[in-house]
Amino acid sequence: MQKVDMTTELAGMKLRNPILTSSGTYGFGEEYAPYCPVSFLGGITVKGITPLPRLGNPVPRLAETPSGLLNSVGLENPGLEEFKKSYLPKLESLDTAVIVNISGFSLDDYALMAAAFQKDSCIAALEVNISCPNIKHGGMAFGTNPKSAEEVITVVRKNTNLPVIAKLSPNVTDIGEMARAVESGGADGISLINTLLGMSIDIHTQKPLLANKMGGLSGPAIRPVAVRMVYQVYEAVNLPIIGMGGISTWQDAIEFMLAGASAVSLGTVNFVNPMAPVDILSGMEEYCLKKGYGSVRELVGLAH
Amino acid sequence: MYLKQRVVENRLIGHPSQGIYKLVLSGQISKTAQPGQFLHIQVSATQDPLLRRPLSIAGINRVKEEVTIYYKVVGRGTDLLTRFKENDYISVLGPLGTGFTIPQKGELLLIAGGIGVFPLYSLIQAVDREQVKIHLFWGGENIDFLESADLKYILNTGVNLKISTMDGSLGHQGLVTDLLQAGIRDSGFADLNHNHLLAAAACGPKGMLKAAAEICLKNNIPLEVSLEERMACGIGACLGCVCTVKGEDGNLKRKRVCKEGPVLKAEEVVWDAKS
Repeated sequence: MQKVDMTTELAGMKLRNPILTSSGTYGFGEEYAPYCPVSFLGGITVKGITPLPRLGNPVPRLAETPSGLLNSVGLENPGLEEFKKSYLPKLESLDTAVIVNISGFSLDDYALMAAAFQKDSCIAALEVNISCPNIKHGGMAFGTNPKSAEEVITVVRKNTNLPVIAKLSPNVTDIGEMARAVESGGADGISLINTLLGMSIDIHTQKPLLANKMGGLSGPAIRPVAVRMVYQVYEAVNLPIIGMGGISTWQDAIEFMLAGASAVSLGTVNFVNPMAPVDILSGMEEYCLKKGYGSVRELVGLAH
Repeated sequence: MYLKQRVVENRLIGHPSQGIYKLVLSGQISKTAQPGQFLHIQVSATQDPLLRRPLSIAGINRVKEEVTIYYKVVGRGTDLLTRFKENDYISVLGPLGTGFTIPQKGELLLIAGGIGVFPLYSLIQAVDREQVKIHLFWGGENIDFLESADLKYILNTGVNLKISTMDGSLGHQGLVTDLLQAGIRDSGFADLNHNHLLAAAACGPKGMLKAAAEICLKNNIPLEVSLEERMACGIGACLGCVCTVKGEDGNLKRKRVCKEGPVLKAEEVVWDAKS
């Protein structure tokens, strides 16, 4: 049987396959190791890190919706210092590309976070979170205004020699404009979409289900929105795209690649099926084989 | 572990109005399961409802390689779970989380509110009854509920049972924590306590757990509580199900109910966490 070349390259990263895991859904890589060896993955994106430790939002942080999940974790994380001390050494030993997701509340925060990670570590790239819907200041505020999005990426670009990937918020009118802004700021790649801002109300208590009232919607419910935005960003800029948003099957992953994604990222599906990356990878490989593609890279953007 | 487990039985027990089911699963999980741990069960292969359902283990039989779960139908997920028939296979993640400490000697106080009694069933089974005397304080809505939640099973275990109901249809009318308080007052527990031979475990609504924690703290009885929280991944990755605790340094911290929990030491839990 002829083999399909599943390796890919984007934003200066060489990946064994185009399957990544999304920030905030895969912990620091060790939680899922008993279910899905990381060596099956193109890479993992770790939980968003901020300069100082954060307790995150109160519970309830989760609400299930039709084919979807609202969350308002609120960037709970150990902070930069503890991350470098206790988590980074474990990431060094992982047999996969490691992308660190960084977040902040000011340009100075982003500068500090970027400067803390350089090419001399095991880190393959930085993903810049300018799209978290669950914190009051910063986060999404940076990612819904093209000017401030560009400023953040410019600052990060100046302070690190690692590839810089901008994670875009879908909570905007014109995603193409946001993509062009981060391209001007010097991003090497774009990942999208982060979660869609949503709400669920308990009709018995007559109050929002989430303690934080609003949260980010993920899961299969948001997939068509994500596919549309990947398609639009592919036309708007010349940067490689990591596509995500509700991918649950290999068919979904193929759809994102056809829309223009060079790699795909799995999030909520891991909660349901921890073996999803393995299943999706073999499905994608078989699809390429049947369609006669020698490399998975040939799929990127074919829907255009 | 991520496994397909075979359904041995899945049937309504007791009064139909109570909607309480007993589910017995056959497979590998029984080999390593501990009292207080839980299973993360996929109730539907479609994407709606999307998430697995976390359910406490109520019985572990390593010889027959079976685990038992009791569940009450409260929504679409548990309703879908009732549709599994004998010899069907269910996708299960588990056993997950951290369970109860199993006392080796002395006396064990168990405090249960409603269906919170189910995880305590597995603890009762695991304790060496020659060495440990068990007192169960169990509160429920009414007699129909208690019978439907397998009161007969509890009576057969021979534990020292004290019952309360909200409507007075069985046992003391009122709160189960009233019974706990009276039980501690009227017994000779203080001496046992002095020799570290008294322990307690509780599962039930948060209000009950908090009250039980206060009573146990006042009487110097080490209490473990089994907590409940909305969960997504069930394995510690998503940080959806956290509980606020007081760290050793006095600062507030989070623990994951699915990983460090669901059983935590009562004295570390911050019951009225606002942030």
